[in-house]
Amino acid sequence: MANDGSGEMKTRTFVVTRFDPDKDQVPKTQSYQVSCRPEWKVLDALNFIKDEIDPTLSHRWSCRMAVCGSCGMNVNGAPKLTCKTSLSEYGDTVEVAPLANFPVIRDLVIEMDGFMEKFKAVKPWIIVAKEKAVDEGTNRQSPAQLAEFKQFSMCINCMLCYAACPVVAKEPDFLGPAAIALGHRYNMDSRDEGAAQRNEIFRGEGTVFSCSYANECSEVCPKNVDPAAAVNQAKLNSVIDWATSFVVKREK
Amino acid sequence: MARPSDPHAMTPRKPGSTRTAPPTVPDDFWTRPRMLTYLLFDATGIVYLLVGLVALRVAWALGSGRAAWDALMQSFASPGYLIFHAIALVSALFVGVRFFRLFPKAQPAHIGPAKPPPPAVLQAMLYVAWIGITIVLLAVLGGVWP
Amino acid sequence: MKALLLRLEPIIWLLFGGGIMVGTLLLPGYLMTVTLGGPLGLLPDGALSFERAHAIASNPIGRVLLLAIIALPLWKGAHHTRALAVDMLGHHSDALVGSLLYAVAAIGSVLGILAVLAI
Repeated sequence: MANDGSGEMKTRTFVVTRFDPDKDQVPKTQSYQVSCRPEWKVLDALNFIKDEIDPTLSHRWSCRMAVCGSCGMNVNGAPKLTCKTSLSEYGDTVEVAPLANFPVIRDLVIEMDGFMEKFKAVKPWIIVAKEKAVDEGTNRQSPAQLAEFKQFSMCINCMLCYAACPVVAKEPDFLGPAAIALGHRYNMDSRDEGAAQRNEIFRGEGTVFSCSYANECSEVCPKNVDPAAAVNQAKLNSVIDWATSFVVKREK
Repeated sequence: MARPSDPHAMTPRKPGSTRTAPPTVPDDFWTRPRMLTYLLFDATGIVYLLVGLVALRVAWALGSGRAAWDALMQSFASPGYLIFHAIALVSALFVGVRFFRLFPKAQPAHIGPAKPPPPAVLQAMLYVAWIGITIVLLAVLGGVWP
Repeated sequence: MKALLLRLEPIIWLLFGGGIMVGTLLLPGYLMTVTLGGPLGLLPDGALSFERAHAIASNPIGRVLLLAIIALPLWKGAHHTRALAVDMLGHHSDALVGSLLYAVAAIGSVLGILAVLAI
C-alpha cells in the first residue's frame, strides 16, 4: 500500500447518499465514476466529485489531517474520518453515507445540535466552589495526575462513536460515548470539584447505565480516546458517589 | 441501504430551520461480526436467567428430600437438560473471556487512595481466580474432596 | 416506571456486576459437576448422592455459594436480556420489559433465599 505515488490510477464507483429537503422526500443514492490517484483518501474523491463532476454535493471537511473532527461519514457501512481513510482499503465500489444515527440536513451533512446538547449537559468545564484569586497562583498538577484523564481529553468531537453505538441507535436520551467521556475527563481532573454534580447527571435521564459495553465506540475512535473505558469507569464512580451520598451530607 | 434508528436518535430539542431526514444505520449494522458477538453476549442473559431458575430447582430439591433430589438428577440426564446445560457452560466461558478482557479498562485510575493493578496483571488475577475456583468446585462437587 | 428504574439503576448495576463476576466465576465448576458430570455418570460413585449434596449445601459456605449460583446469574441475565430487548425492540418497551425482568430476578432471589434456608 505505497503512498509514494508509485501506484496506478484506479477508477472507482462512488455510491453517495444525496438528500435535498427542498426536492427529495427521502434520501437517495447517486453514483459517480472517479479516476482515483493511488494515494487518495475518501475525502479527496469527494472533493474531486464536488469540484469536477457535481458541485451540488454537500459535505463537511476542514483540516484534512484528522484533528478537526469535521469529516466523519459512514464508508461502506463503517464510521470513518474520510480525510484519514485510504481508498486503497476499498475495492471498485465505495459507498459514502452520512454518519449513522444522526438526522440528515443535506447529502452527507448531519444535524449536530443533538450532540451539542448532550455535550453541554455534562458541564464540560472545571467546576470549583471558589475560584482562586490571581495572586494565589496557578493550579498545580503533577504528570501522574494528568495521566489520569489525559487520554479522555484527546476527543476531537468527530462523533464516529455515536454512529457506531447500538444504544445511541435505540435510546435517544442516552448521553453517548463522547459526552460521557468528556464528563469523566473532568471528574478525573484533580483541579475539578464538580464530580458530584456530574455524577448526578450521569445517573439522570441520559444515564450512563444505558451503556451495554458493546465497545464499538472505542473500536472506531480515531484518536484512541477509548470512550468505552470512560463510560464504564463513570458507571463505577457514579455508583460509589451514589452510595456515599447517603453517608456524607452534600451541599447542593 | 439503510434501516431506521430510533426516529429521535441524536435529535435536538429545538428543531433546526430545515426538514431533516431521519437517522438511519447501515443495513449490516446489526450483523457485522463484532456487533453479532456483542448481541450474542447480551443473549447469554437469557441463558443465565434460565440457569438461575434451574439452580433454584436444585436448592428446592435438596430441601425436599432424597426422592426429589434423585428425580431431579434423573431429569438432568435427559437430552433437553444436557443440551441446555452444555450451552450454559459454553455461554459462561464466552461471557468470562469477553468480560475479563473488558473489565480492566473499566477500572477508574483511583478510588480514593486505592489504585487498581496494571490491566494485564488484573486480567491474569481474574483468570487465576476463575481456574482456582473451578478446580475447588470440581473437587468438592465432584466427590474428590472432602 | 421509567423514573423508578432510573432511581434503582445503581443497585441494579451493582447486582448485575456481582452477577457477571461471581456468577461467571462459579458457573463452570457447578455446571460441569451438578448438571453435566453427575447426570452423565462421569463422577465417582456417591459424589452427588443426596447425603453428600445435602451435607455440602447445608454447610453455611455451601448455602451462600448455592444462593450465589441461583441469584447472581438472575441479575446478570435480567440486565443483559433487557439490553438485548432495547437493541431489538427499541426503548419504548424498555420500562415494561426491564421491570418484568428485574422482577423475575428479585422474586427468584427471594425464593432462592427461602430455598437455601430450607435445606
